[in-house]
Amino acid sequence: MNPSLAQVLERSDIRRGDAFAVAPAPTFATGFARLDAELPGGGWPRGALTELLAEHEGIGELGLLLPALAALTAAGQPVVLIAPPHGAHAPAWAAAGIRLDCLRLVFPNRPRDALWAAVEALRCGGVAATLLWLDALFRAQLPANSLRRLQVAAGEGGGGAFFFRPSRLAAAASPAPLRLQLQAQGGSLRVTILKRRGPPARQAILLDVARPAGFLQSVPHAVAGAALPDTTGSRRRSRVAA
Amino acid sequence: MDLPAQLAVAATPLAALWLARAGSDAVCPDLPATRAALAAVPIAALELAPPLARRIEGFGLRRLGDVLALPRASLGARLGKPFVIDLARALGEVADPQIGFVFPEHFEQSLELPAPVEAAPVLLFAARRLIAALAGWLAARNAAVRTIDCLIDHGHGRTTGVPLAFSAPVHAAARIERVLKERLDALSLSAPALALRLCARETEVREDRSHALFDGAGQRHEALAELMDRLAARLGPQAVQGLACHADHRPELASRAGPEKPALKASLPSVPSRPLWLVEPPEALRELHGRPQRAGPLVLLAGPERIESGWWDGGDARRDYFVAVDSGQRWLWIFRDPRPPGGWFLHGWFA
Repeated sequence: MNPSLAQVLERSDIRRGDAFAVAPAPTFATGFARLDAELPGGGWPRGALTELLAEHEGIGELGLLLPALAALTAAGQPVVLIAPPHGAHAPAWAAAGIRLDCLRLVFPNRPRDALWAAVEALRCGGVAATLLWLDALFRAQLPANSLRRLQVAAGEGGGGAFFFRPSRLAAAASPAPLRLQLQAQGGSLRVTILKRRGPPARQAILLDVARPAGFLQSVPHAVAGAALPDTTGSRRRSRVAA
Repeated sequence: MDLPAQLAVAATPLAALWLARAGSDAVCPDLPATRAALAAVPIAALELAPPLARRIEGFGLRRLGDVLALPRASLGARLGKPFVIDLARALGEVADPQIGFVFPEHFEQSLELPAPVEAAPVLLFAARRLIAALAGWLAARNAAVRTIDCLIDHGHGRTTGVPLAFSAPVHAAARIERVLKERLDALSLSAPALALRLCARETEVREDRSHALFDGAGQRHEALAELMDRLAARLGPQAVQGLACHADHRPELASRAGPEKPALKASLPSVPSRPLWLVEPPEALRELHGRPQRAGPLVLLAGPERIESGWWDGGDARRDYFVAVDSGQRWLWIFRDPRPPGGWFLHGWFA
């Protein structure tokens, strides 16, 4: 008897177009159930480059990673930030549940050093997640083979690798197996999966990433913190603005 | 160097020395055998002071056996007490305690290079020998070091110092070597190097744990510390930072590079929302019709939160902070300076 179609389809080297790969790569949970459901393996990939193409800075692009980073650091796993765009504000990171003693920030001055540091951090088996911001240092002239180098290094290290890039590069070719485009939409983060190992994603997901407390969408103007009496002028101004 | 070695075994250290000097291959496990073997040792092998040796020769004594046959008391009267005491020590009649080998307190070793070296990275090959010696020295002392001084000697008293600093005590040769490699790669020599010297002065007790069979957090942190050391060696120590909270209400002082001190952890009460990124120094914003602008007017969502602090240390700050959103739906943390000349400033991003 011929092997049935079902038996053939069970082979690990056959992937059907409408399903994720049979044996997905190791992952860790994103902390957003709706996003986990859309990602192969149900979470952020380990040992593979993830590109996060944010439309702007300050739309909650880091908020997307915070739950996963908090879980990693809570387990004592180190997280390394390479060439972050600004200085990190410790109280905010601590408030997001991240263990600060597991966090390391690297500020290279030269683009070449930044790429080297990124590759070293990705290759290091001890780093659970590496966050990269390289395009600003390279003035958007990232050498053509560097993405490939980063992807290979991530594969060697086996940790999470998150590369924050400007969204105008969405159309550019990339060896990263997972590419997400991030846009702001009314206080939420709109995540479009540009590329994943599996069938193309049909629609974008809206995620409620961490936004400043005290703000509710129904009440656009919420006063946080105690103001001293002589700030009435500025309070009135803010109400006008809102 | 072609130095021959001569072994001799005797019941006392001094007898063994004399037998070795005499070129005897004798193995004397006990005192009677030692005494018998010593009898054949020539006086010259004792390497006595010349006047004493001449005196003994004048008596017509050629071998130690001749000396031992004479009464000890009259020998002492004629040849002096020290010689008789030496005889007694060799024969095991008097205790002869030896000073034990003391391991050097500090490590300092240098290596002459066979030829002047122009390129710093090449020095790594020579340094490997010194690092291996250092690792051996550390292993023998069960110690680890945080700092190592590597000195490159250019001759004429000129040296280049390459201090190595580690985030955690190290003892493994491979790890020291990797950090030194990064430093040497970045170094350009002012003059050819003639010699290399490695010094380790302050040691710490090595904290070795037995590794868990199935990978533990310890191994991971060791790998991280090693990575950070290498990054710091190439990028400079300022480029690699930790992050820690500091008890201060001024945002720019509430965050510090470096390890967190547990005592400070709980000292700040939970603050209202703070941005993950801090723009330092704050970016001045335009004001139009009383509203802050940044690529269009900003919408203030929350605030003001008055932060007033630092009048005592010269860093006096009085600011009203707001959470704002711009036309691109980016979340900003801005403040208004209520004191003249006033103005709006961007201080952070809610990324």
